Amino acid sequence: MERARRPGYAAPVRSEDQWQVETPEQVALSLPLAGVGARGLAALLDLLAVFLCWMVGLFVYSIWGDLLGRVQGLTWVGQLLLVAAVLAAGWGWDVAWEVAWRGQTPGKRALGLRVVRLDGAPVGLGESLVRNALRVLELPLGYAPAVLAVALSSRRQRLGDLVAGTLVVQERRFDLSRYGAPAAVEARWSVLKQRAPGLLAPADFERLLDFLRRRAELEAAPRARLAERLAAALAARAGLGPPPPGEAEPFLEALHAFASEEA
Amino acid sequence: MTAPAGTRRVAGRSRGVAAFVRGRREGWERLDALVDRVGAGRLTLAEVEELDRLYRRAIGDLSLARTAFPGTDAEGYLAQLAARAFATLYRRRRGGWGQAVARLRSEGPAEVFRHRDALVLAAGLMGGGLLLGALATAVDPEGFSWLVPAGVREALAARRLWTDDLLTVAPGLSGGTIARNNLSVAALCFALGLTGGVGTALLLFGNGALLGAVLVAAWRAGLGAGLAGFVAAHGPVELSALVLAGQAGFVLASGLVTPGEWPRMEALARRGREAARILALVAPLLLLVAAVEATVSPAGRFPLPARVGLGLGLAVAVWSYLWRVGRATARANAGRARGSSR
Repeated sequence: MERARRPGYAAPVRSEDQWQVETPEQVALSLPLAGVGARGLAALLDLLAVFLCWMVGLFVYSIWGDLLGRVQGLTWVGQLLLVAAVLAAGWGWDVAWEVAWRGQTPGKRALGLRVVRLDGAPVGLGESLVRNALRVLELPLGYAPAVLAVALSSRRQRLGDLVAGTLVVQERRFDLSRYGAPAAVEARWSVLKQRAPGLLAPADFERLLDFLRRRAELEAAPRARLAERLAAALAARAGLGPPPPGEAEPFLEALHAFASEEA
Repeated sequence: MTAPAGTRRVAGRSRGVAAFVRGRREGWERLDALVDRVGAGRLTLAEVEELDRLYRRAIGDLSLARTAFPGTDAEGYLAQLAARAFATLYRRRRGGWGQAVARLRSEGPAEVFRHRDALVLAAGLMGGGLLLGALATAVDPEGFSWLVPAGVREALAARRLWTDDLLTVAPGLSGGTIARNNLSVAALCFALGLTGGVGTALLLFGNGALLGAVLVAAWRAGLGAGLAGFVAAHGPVELSALVLAGQAGFVLASGLVTPGEWPRMEALARRGREAARILALVAPLLLLVAAVEATVSPAGRFPLPARVGLGLGLAVAVWSYLWRVGRATARANAGRARGSSR
């Protein structure tokens, strides 16, 4: 990505691999592709879920005891449903979820992954059937072909993805509430108000937001150190000296408030 | 903490990102909700117009955010939202499950009809394997005994029909377990198309040979009638499904072997989609097989003529349906193509 080379630019994603498309409005859109780790973990989670389904089935079996007798006593409709359930727990798991949840299985949803077609549209029944059918080639070899293919192919595709024409993209969860309205500012910081407009580059402002959001999780010492460094750097930007000791956080809060109000 | 001159200059003449987000957020979240509902249900006309307006505004906001607020969460959020909305709005027309089934009903048979050379190849290989396996076992039962699985051999030696065994162990469940095996054989038939069709051919031929050998071995052991009775009702459809899966495998292989004017990977993806429509027919057929096997096939439930009639009747129904609908759809498609080229 061109912009990622500019210093100071915080790249939204570290991965170089992007799904890209240009809209009729001449805006280039891109989504990061998922790597081996996330996909492997998602597959494991799904495996765990299917396994749990079977465990629950066996548990129910042990409660009812004579399950075979019950199955024999079922009507053909009941037996058909049973067959469908057995199938669903295996191969059908991924297909059903991917169609119902627009490209996500429970494992993929947990990790923010989504299967999309090459044009970015949600995956359909046909594509999902194909990409999961090809697991029969990878499963006996311990998924090694899948791992290799995802690691080596330029679009991070398994064999199934290649044949079905699908990609797995990584979605991120953004919290827009971080841009919420600021609290009131004490009068002593009003000197900042004249300096604040245009003071913070967007990347600096993001860092300020990150600090303010994360500070509650930090230990006292690193928290104070981080606040002082950040405050000193931003104060220098405003042509001011560093805030007095212990005042770093109020200074940052005031800066945040003024920058947030900026319209 | 050094901001590059470029970013700083841009920031100087722009609004703050926080105020920007606060002013626009409601519209973005509304767009997000509407995009979610496009796939799930119907939108009213007013909502569609709103969706269109909000999408255009979000694209505009994204352009602004890219120049004014690069690298912020606001830009990341907008990029993701716009990509999702774009993919949903500009995708090719398609419906939900109902339309998927409707497409399956016409497009699957059309692909079966269109790639009938692959179908003949698959059927020929399986039939050839069946004949050769049967012939070999009939001519030299000792020499070709390895064609018959050991478990079956022991059962035959004890004059005991192993399907009876299977059924007394798990009568209702046998349909399920057998369908799983069918399903993996069918899926493998398709997937091995990636070997250029060699694997698919071997699998079809091997399964045919196995079946032929077992049938003749059972016949020689005097258990032919019992076995025939067991397989009569579901066997024909089951073999049909496997042949269709083999056809799908060969269609996939043709993308690698004869890609035509396309790059091989591109041809593979296109043929893969065509093969998928055939494969999508196999799954319901195997479900039908499992249902029949679990209900009709167990010994003593129905007389032999009824089973044979049911088995052949189902197979004839399946194939005549595939052929009739496939040819009609293929002709309709050809007519449309001619019409549009004029």
